[in-house]
Amino acid sequence: MDARVDQKAVLVARSQLSPRCFALDLVCPRPLPAQPGQFVMVGVSATSDPLLRRPFSVAGVMPTENGAQFQLLVKEVGKVTAMLRHLPLGSEVGVLGPLGRGFSLDSCGPHPVLVAGGIGLPPVLFAARQLQKQGVSFDLFYGAASEPELLLRSEIQKVVSGDAVFCTDDGSFGESVFVTDLLRKRWKSRYSHLLACGPNPMLHAVARLAREKGVAAELSLEEPMACGVGVCLGCVVKLADGTYAPSCQKGPVFRASELAEGW
Amino acid sequence: MVRLATEVGSLQLKNPILAASGTFGYGLDLLDFCPPEALGAVVTKGLSPKPRAGNPTPRIVETPAGMINSIGLQNIGVEAFCTDVLPTLRQRKACVVVNVFGETEEEYATVIERLQREEGIAAYELNVSCPNVHKGGMEFGHDPKLLRSLVAALRPLTQRPLWVKLSPNAPSPLAVAEAAVTAGADALTLVNTFRALSVNARTRRPSIATGFGGLSGPAIKPLALRLVWEVHRAIPQAPLVGIGGIMSGTDAVEFLLAGASAVQVGTATFRNPNACLTVLAELEAFCQQEGVEDVRELVGGLVWP
Ligand SMILES: Cc1cc2nc3c(=O)[nH]c(=O)nc-3n(C[C@H](O)[C@H](O)[C@H](O)COP(=O)(O)OP(=O)(O)OC[C@H]3O[C@@H](n4cnc5c(N)ncnc54)[C@H](O)[C@@H]3O)c2cc1C
Ligand SMILES: Cc1cc2nc3c(=O)[nH]c(=O)nc-3n(C[C@H](O)[C@H](O)[C@H](O)COP(=O)(O)O)c2cc1C
Ligand code: FES
Repeated sequence: MDARVDQKAVLVARSQLSPRCFALDLVCPRPLPAQPGQFVMVGVSATSDPLLRRPFSVAGVMPTENGAQFQLLVKEVGKVTAMLRHLPLGSEVGVLGPLGRGFSLDSCGPHPVLVAGGIGLPPVLFAARQLQKQGVSFDLFYGAASEPELLLRSEIQKVVSGDAVFCTDDGSFGESVFVTDLLRKRWKSRYSHLLACGPNPMLHAVARLAREKGVAAELSLEEPMACGVGVCLGCVVKLADGTYAPSCQKGPVFRASELAEGW
Repeated sequence: MVRLATEVGSLQLKNPILAASGTFGYGLDLLDFCPPEALGAVVTKGLSPKPRAGNPTPRIVETPAGMINSIGLQNIGVEAFCTDVLPTLRQRKACVVVNVFGETEEEYATVIERLQREEGIAAYELNVSCPNVHKGGMEFGHDPKLLRSLVAALRPLTQRPLWVKLSPNAPSPLAVAEAAVTAGADALTLVNTFRALSVNARTRRPSIATGFGGLSGPAIKPLALRLVWEVHRAIPQAPLVGIGGIMSGTDAVEFLLAGASAVQVGTATFRNPNACLTVLAELEAFCQQEGVEDVRELVGGLVWP
């Protein structure tokens, strides 16, 4: 928590990955010691509309001499994401982070399996990059609506030491199946841990599967956020004990066992 | 040198910028951006006798130049505040205003009686204006008779200043303000959030789980200013604390001119965790530029046409 800072980052590169998704490379003057699963609050607006920053998972980060270069993968869905898509290179954006609790990669056993759905890819990709560095072998399942929305396939192939399995809802690439159904079909008994990010229905299915298989699952949730730093209580998630926890602080990565039924 | 120190009634403040209830945690959550002791005061999240879970999700949605929230007063309860939070605030010499919430008169009294056993509390701010809970809160804030009875019942419990945070949703905010002052309130905080609705056209449902929520942010600033000025004109002797959409030093000045002795910064903290400090720095710079030597000169200085 003490590592978090609010700083201006400069947009140095953008690449279109699909009709609605793009990658942003940003450089910031101070360190950004983000762990996979952590996020930043990004502010692009000089006026009161849009008013609030938006949360984005860090997809990867590299220290520079004094600061850091980091990557975000963004899907255009509304005001701020549209602004990010059209922001000229060299522009400054406000970046507050790193925030929240990421995946616990040190305790995910000998062969974790990673699952990404749609624009849930960024934290999973960052986790994959980190596991590769740590020399941990793992498989990765990645599903999207259709072929163009399966982002960065060749990069993912390179990073994943074990199997990288792709599927689409419409069958335009890989099997036509939900990624969680495919994971169930191809489940290996050596899977020691499950890490996932994606839409809520997918995460519910992941949590059910993990429980059936007796494997711990960590889920990166995406709740709407206002502050990102634990003071508004807008982003809460219901826990198994019936209390609400701010997902920007206690999450966004939760163990499935911590969460209330159907959270 | 600009003199920033000011007072709200009998309470001395080192400057007129306060962090608003519900937007600054319990005062210790943003130490790395905005230490509480740097501010005129911090107002805590509303505290009830027992911890409250709060409302179901989704609880927030952004709207043009504002946001609607329905947190439902999720809080750790007065006991945990006294044991886990207050000692550190005391140690840091922060000026602490505790926002108090109850569903009944007795609940308000319970919270205040517990807090009376503690040192290091500068004032109480009664939240009688939360639009997001079914019982208590807004009921008191809408009905002058109920409010008079509430304030009169709490008044004997403490020598500390009692502020009453008013609802802009009351049928007659002026009548409610007068009732609070007559019953012994030391100051009025205005305003809380405006009851509002955001609709998701695609799902045909409200954007947040409770349907209605409270609107805050720059969108409400002109409405809040209007209420501050109306109450100041009607009850000029009542100290006022202004709040609603303050994002900059000039915004703060506008509230002071309309009659507020101090102001609170709320939603702006969500956009920038050090917003209270930037508002303070900008206020000081404004005074310097305009040759204002004492910030109190501004209070009520609006020149009405
Ligand atoms: C911890 C966390 C990490 C995230 N990481 C990423 C990421 O790496 N890449 C990415 O593209 N997005 C990510 N998101 C989602 C992203 O924050 C939203 O897409 C963004 O806030 C939308 O802003 P906007 O101004 O473009 O949309 P708005 O104009 O605010 O809203 C447009 C539409 O998007 C919907 N929406 C708003 N917020 C969210 C949300 N949190 N989740 C889903 N839908 C939402 C709204 O309901 C509305 O229908 C993350 C969210 C969280 C909480
Ligand atoms: C998320 C959120 C939570 C709030 N919680 C409280 C509360 O617990 N008690 C209270 O009196 N006011 C609460 N408020 C109201 C604010 O203190 C303030 O009156 C209002 O937001 C208007 O100011 P602003 O536009 O600067 O935010 C809350 C506001 C928001 C946005
Ligand atoms: S986003 Fe404000 S508490 Fe989490």
